[in-house]
Amino acid sequence: MVGIRIVKRQAPLGFWGACLVLFSALLLSLLLSGVLLFLGGTPPIKGIITLFQGAFCSRWALEDSVLKAIPIFLCSLGVAVAFRLKIWNIGAEGQFALGAVGATWVALTFPDWPKFVLLPAMICMAMVAGGAWGFIPALLRQRLKTNEIIVTLMLNYIAILFLDYLVYGVWKDPTSFGFPMTPSFSDQAIVGKIGSSTINWGLAHCLVLGVLVWGFFKYTRIGFEVKAAGDSVRAAKYAGLPYDRLVILVMVMSGALAGWAGFLEASATVNRLQPSIMVGYGYTAIVVAWLARLNPLGIGVASILLAGLRVGVENLQLDLQVPAAFGGILEGLILLTVLAGGFFTYYRFERRKKR
Amino acid sequence: MGHRIPVCYTNCGDGEKLTMTGAVPLIRLENISKSFGSVYANEDVSLEIEEGKILALLGENGAGKSTLMSILAGQLQPDSGTIYLQGQPVVFSTTEKAISGGIGMVYQHFKLVDAMTVVENIFLGQKGASWLRWKEMRRAVRDLAELYGMDVDPAARISELSMGERQQVEILKLLHRKSSILIFDEPTAVLTPREADNLFATMKKMIELGKGIVFISHKLDEVMAIADNIAILRRGQIVDKIAADKVSSTAELAERMVGREVLLKVDRQPLEPRQIVLKVTGLSDSVLKEVTLSVRQGEILGLVGVAGNGQKPLVETICGLKKPTRDRVRILGMDWARFFKNPEWDKALSYIPEDRQGLATCQGLDLLDNFLLTTRDGFCKGPWLQRETARNKAVRVIEDFDIRPPDINAFAWQLSGGNLQKMVLAREFFRKPRLIVAEQPTQGLDIAATEDVWNLLLKAREAAGILLVTGDIAEALALSDRIGVMYNGRIVEIFYSDDEEKIDLIPQMMAGLRSSENSKT
Repeated sequence: MVGIRIVKRQAPLGFWGACLVLFSALLLSLLLSGVLLFLGGTPPIKGIITLFQGAFCSRWALEDSVLKAIPIFLCSLGVAVAFRLKIWNIGAEGQFALGAVGATWVALTFPDWPKFVLLPAMICMAMVAGGAWGFIPALLRQRLKTNEIIVTLMLNYIAILFLDYLVYGVWKDPTSFGFPMTPSFSDQAIVGKIGSSTINWGLAHCLVLGVLVWGFFKYTRIGFEVKAAGDSVRAAKYAGLPYDRLVILVMVMSGALAGWAGFLEASATVNRLQPSIMVGYGYTAIVVAWLARLNPLGIGVASILLAGLRVGVENLQLDLQVPAAFGGILEGLILLTVLAGGFFTYYRFERRKKR
Repeated sequence: MGHRIPVCYTNCGDGEKLTMTGAVPLIRLENISKSFGSVYANEDVSLEIEEGKILALLGENGAGKSTLMSILAGQLQPDSGTIYLQGQPVVFSTTEKAISGGIGMVYQHFKLVDAMTVVENIFLGQKGASWLRWKEMRRAVRDLAELYGMDVDPAARISELSMGERQQVEILKLLHRKSSILIFDEPTAVLTPREADNLFATMKKMIELGKGIVFISHKLDEVMAIADNIAILRRGQIVDKIAADKVSSTAELAERMVGREVLLKVDRQPLEPRQIVLKVTGLSDSVLKEVTLSVRQGEILGLVGVAGNGQKPLVETICGLKKPTRDRVRILGMDWARFFKNPEWDKALSYIPEDRQGLATCQGLDLLDNFLLTTRDGFCKGPWLQRETARNKAVRVIEDFDIRPPDINAFAWQLSGGNLQKMVLAREFFRKPRLIVAEQPTQGLDIAATEDVWNLLLKAREAAGILLVTGDIAEALALSDRIGVMYNGRIVEIFYSDDEEKIDLIPQMMAGLRSSENSKT
C-alpha cells in the first residue's frame, strides 16, 4: 500500500527550505494562471512572458513598478505590525485614504509654508489621521468587544466615501472642468523625484521606516512585548504585559504607516487629492505581508513583485486583450498558494511504507 | 498470572508467538523503533498486551511512552518493527485503521464536544443509517454504562459534567466502538481520589469482560494497586518487564524506573520564619468564602484539597490575574492594587502556574524570548531590550538547570513537559522572588524531575515565602512547614506539618467531613 501521510516536523523548516516552498508556491500560482489564460484563449507562455516584460523588462516598467511598490510597502509594513499581535487590521485602505486627506488638508491650508516645514507637517497630519482611523477599531474592540476585522473593513468604505465627499464638494478645484479633484499642491507640498528618474523620494522614506520597524521588533522592549503577546494572550496576561495598550499601539502604528503611504501618493504621485489614488493598495498590502511572513525585508521584495504584477497586467491588457481583472485573480492565487505553502513550515509529507 | 514476560523474541523465528499463559496476545509490538532526528524515541521495543490484563507503562518524561502509544494509535509510523493484531501483522497507517483494529485511547485532554449531550458525543462520527433513533441510542448508552458499572446520564450535556464523568463518556465512546484494547494516558491526573477509585473499578470490570488495558501513570501506588504486568521504559527502551506481584514496594518500582534509588524524601531543615510576605484576610468571591491565610518568608504553606474547591480563584487573585473584591490581599506589605500597579520584576512575586504550556510560556517563541517573558524588566535600558546580556544569562541558566535540549534557540513547543517546567522554574528563580505561588509544580513530572523541583523549592524557601497549591498530599507533607486544607471555597484548617493528629484527619477535611467550626470546639 503506497500513500502519503502528514507528519509534524520536529523543528520548523529552515531558511532555505522556506525559500524553496515560497518559490514553489509562486510557480504553482503562475502555472494555475497559465491555465486560466489558456482557457481564456490566450497562449499561456506568451501571456506570462508579456506580463513579466511589462513589469520589469524596461526602464519605464521597472520605475513604474517601484513607484507602485512604495505605497504598498508602507501599508504592508503597517498591517504587518498589527498582524504580529494577531490583530487583523484589514483597514489599511481606509487608513491610507485618511492619511491622504490629512496631508491634503495641510497642503491646501498652508500652501505657502516653506518646504522643510510643510512636508513634515503634512506627514504628521497624515499619520495622525491614519492613526486615528486605526485607533477607532482598537477602542471599539476593547470597549464593546467588537471584531476588528469587520470594523476596519467597514471603516474603509467610510474613509473612501469621505474622500469622495471632499473632492466632489468642498475641496473641488473650480478650474477642473468638473473632474473630482482638488487644486494642484504648491511646489513646497510636493515630494520630489530622485534625479532624472520618475521615482520619488518616497523610496527613501520606505527604507528608513522599514529599518525602524525592523529595529522596533528586534531591539525595543515594546517590540518584544508585541511579539510575545502575539504568540499567546494568556501568557501575556500572566507576564503582566499591557495587552490592551499594545492593541491600541499596534493599531495606531499600523494606521499611521498607511497614512504615510497616503501622504506620499497624494503629494508625490498625483500632486493633489483625487479618487483615483484609491486602487486597492491597502488590500494588496495584506497579501504582501503574508507573502513576506511579516518580515520587513521580505515585505520590500514582495511589494515590488506585486506592484510589478499590477504594471505587467496593463501590458497584458494592451498586447493580448486580457481583462484587467486577471491581475486580481493572479494576486489571489499567489495569496492562496503561499498560505497553503505555510503548511510545510511545521508539517511534511511522508511516503507510507509498503508492507 | 505472575509470570515474567520474555523480554525479547528476536531469535524465536517468525511463527505464532504465545505468551507464557499460552494465549495469543491481543496486540504484540515487535522490535518497534522510531527516531526523531538523531534521537531514538523508541528503540527495539517489544511488548504485548494481553486479554484480561492491565499492563502498566512506566517511564520518566521523555522516555518514549507517548511515542509508543501514538504508534499504536496510528498517529505515528514506526521506522522499523511490526505490530501484530491477534497474531496477524497489521499496519496502522491512520487513526481510523487503529480504531477499527480495536485500539481505543483515553487521552488526558478529553476529546468531547462540550455543547452536546453524552449520547450525541458517543455516536458522533459513527457511520451508518441517516436517521437518528434517539430512544435506542439512549438505551444503548445506558446499557453499556450499566454493564461496566458506570453511572452517567445519557441526556446530560458534557459541559455540566465533572471531569470524572467526562472521562466515563470517553470510555463509553470507545466501548461503544467495540475497542478491545484501551489505553489510558495518565487517567487519574484530573480525577478526585474517589473518582479514581471508580475508574479503577471500571477498569477491573473491563478486564473481566476480556478487554486489554494499557495504563500509563506516574503514580506508583496506583500502578501497584491495579496493574497485572508492568513494563518500564527508559530512554526509549524497555528496560524491565515484570509481573506486578513480583514487585515488593513502590520504592522498588521507583528504583527500577529511574535506575537509582529514589525515596522521594527531601531533607527539610526548619528555618526561622521572618516577615509576612502574603496576607489574605477574609477574601470572598463567587467561590471563595472568607479565606484567611498568611505566608512568611522562610516557610512553605502547603494548600491541599481536591481540585475545584477554590484553589484556582485564590491563586489567580494572589497572582494578579483576578481582582479581589476589596483590598483583602496584601503582598510584600502592599495593597493588592498598589502591588500590581507597577510590579517589580525581581525580589517580588513569582507565579509557577499549573498550565505550563498555555500560561507560563509562549509555545511559538524560543527559549530566550520565553526567558525574557517575565525577566524583561531586568534587561531594559530605556526603551531598549538588551538581548545579548539576556542571552548570556539564559544560556547559563539552561545549563545550571540541565534543561534539554540545551539550546536557547529551541522553541518552547519542542520541550517535554518536565523540561518546560524546569525552564519556568529556572526563569522564576532567576527573579529571586520573595513570594512564590507554586501550583501543582510536579504534576506530570517523573520522579527525578520531581525531586529536582522539590529541592529547588526548598532552596528558594531560604529567601522566599512559598504558597504551594497541590493535590498531592505526599508532596505537601514532604515540603510544607504548615498545611492548609481547602474545601468548598473555605480553608478548613491550617496546622503545622508535624501535627500527626491533624495530618491523619486531612482526608476527612478534604471530603468536607470536618468543618473549621467543629475543629474549634
